[in-house]
Amino acid sequence: MSVFDPPVARPWLRRMRDQSLTVDAFYRTVTNPQGFIGVVIFGGLVLLAIFADLIAPYGEAEQIRGARLLSPTSEYWFGTDDLNRDMFSRILFGLRISLYVSIAGVLGGGAVGTVIGFAAGYAGGWLETILMRLVDTLLAFPFLLLGIAVLAILGTGTEQVALALGIANVPVFARIARAQLLTEKERDYVLAARAIGAAPGRIIWRHIATNALPPLLVQAALAMAFAVIAEATLSFLGLGASPPTPTLGIILADGRRWLFAGAWWFVLFPTLGLSLILLSLNFVADSVVEAIDPHRRH
Amino acid sequence: MGRYLIRRFLEGLLVVFLASIAIFLIIRLIPGDPAQQLAGEDATPEDVERVREQLGLNDPFLTQYWNWISGAVQLDFGRSFTKRVEVRDLVAQSFPPTIELAVAAYLFALVVGVPLGIAAAVWAKKPPDYGASIFNILTLGIPNFVLGIILLWVFAVELDWFPVSGRVSVFDDPLQGLHRLVLPMVAAGATIAAVLARFVRTSVAEALAQDYVRTAHAKGLRASRVVLSHALRNALIPIVTVAALQIGNLLAGAIVVEIVFTRPGFGNLIIDGIVGRDYLVIQAMLAILVFLFVAANTAADIAYGYLDPRIRVSGLRS
Repeated sequence: MSVFDPPVARPWLRRMRDQSLTVDAFYRTVTNPQGFIGVVIFGGLVLLAIFADLIAPYGEAEQIRGARLLSPTSEYWFGTDDLNRDMFSRILFGLRISLYVSIAGVLGGGAVGTVIGFAAGYAGGWLETILMRLVDTLLAFPFLLLGIAVLAILGTGTEQVALALGIANVPVFARIARAQLLTEKERDYVLAARAIGAAPGRIIWRHIATNALPPLLVQAALAMAFAVIAEATLSFLGLGASPPTPTLGIILADGRRWLFAGAWWFVLFPTLGLSLILLSLNFVADSVVEAIDPHRRH
Repeated sequence: MGRYLIRRFLEGLLVVFLASIAIFLIIRLIPGDPAQQLAGEDATPEDVERVREQLGLNDPFLTQYWNWISGAVQLDFGRSFTKRVEVRDLVAQSFPPTIELAVAAYLFALVVGVPLGIAAAVWAKKPPDYGASIFNILTLGIPNFVLGIILLWVFAVELDWFPVSGRVSVFDDPLQGLHRLVLPMVAAGATIAAVLARFVRTSVAEALAQDYVRTAHAKGLRASRVVLSHALRNALIPIVTVAALQIGNLLAGAIVVEIVFTRPGFGNLIIDGIVGRDYLVIQAMLAILVFLFVAANTAADIAYGYLDPRIRVSGLRS
């Protein structure tokens, strides 16, 4: 297992790891076998999604004459569906939408939530009370239900689901960011920064945020898994993208209707796609937790 | 304890109040004219005006909210625009099937998750522990609605052991009802069972490492007694909290699984509501589900304080 051996002869790496906790955490994550597998699988899926145009043998909704509900063959790797479409191509394009919606939702909602949490924790007083009450109100909705509530206002569709997931992610990130800020705020280095006259924005961004980052990254990986599930669920329920656009949830909804006809590939392959995303994200989250655990350092 | 209880209760009430404003605002946040939306595309101006009057959209904002919330606490949510019946009646029809499924799934999660967690802690790094890990990985990788589809495929289509869809009330025909409940129950309960098993394993393992457990062993108690009455009892506090906190997931899961198994219930009601833009139904569903969720969380906090005296004194949850 040479990949996981400590690099004795690479001083530049050593230096970077010593200078930045984030680089160190990243290094620990990818050198942990579980983390390595997670990063490789998730990275591979993201690449498949990005280059779906080039890899997919057929279009996302292209109908092939005479190829209705075929089981997997060398021509159609994952079989074809009830509307004569190549399942492998549809899953690649579906992967693209599922990942795009989840990543956009988590990044957007995570950024907004983090800013709210930092602002509330740093400002304190009435601003904190108001912001955190609003966050508590959002937390009063179970995750999926909050998404459904937002879709009730916005109507259904791909962008709407991304926005709904974004909003649903705000409260958790706000809570974690605020908790992180409150513990870091009391540290000596913050006092030192304040003593030399650093502005609050600079203290939060340059000093506190870099130290508060790893727990937020763990949350981001877990939130991404939740978002993938939520996106699949919402589009399965018919609240996401509209046909013929494929997402993993929509393919599963179609596949469910054809199980009785024995079309097992119609359900198996989208399920495998979902499982790979979810397990790789959980692997990454687990190994980031281990990587940033101070008890395991050095 | 009295003060702690009152404070938690008031906090819960405040969150429900704020959430009720958010839910009330839904109709007002719809892009365009809500009355036009509710009346439908081809409504005459008179129809729209009637809807506006019926919803009280001409009243001052606070009056509108007051009217809605005072109706809601009496479970009066107005009339459904697409189904032309009282929303209350729709909810009353959908409530029993969903609660039946949620209760069954919750029992399944407890019956599977807790013993599995205990076994994994007692036999750490042995087959029961590995079994729990595999179960955990499976539920992490398979969302509940997908599990529903897989169960449907294997046990209803291929093996033909269970009916494919539909629901019979367990009170009308217990045998038929339970038979049709098995697959949805497993689908909605499996993830929660895995979460419980994980927490039970951690907290029982922690308790097993304590001195009082060694003492109990040393004085010659049987291993089963040490685990069940010494370790488990002290491990109970986090377990109770996690069990209560899972109620939100349970309700959301039940709604989705209902759709997979085409069972009547909240799931169909809420999806029909969104697809048909029946906003009064959506409001009612959200209000009820948020209320149940907050009530469960508050109950968890109170139980936590009751079980652990340190919490109710400091008021903080670690």
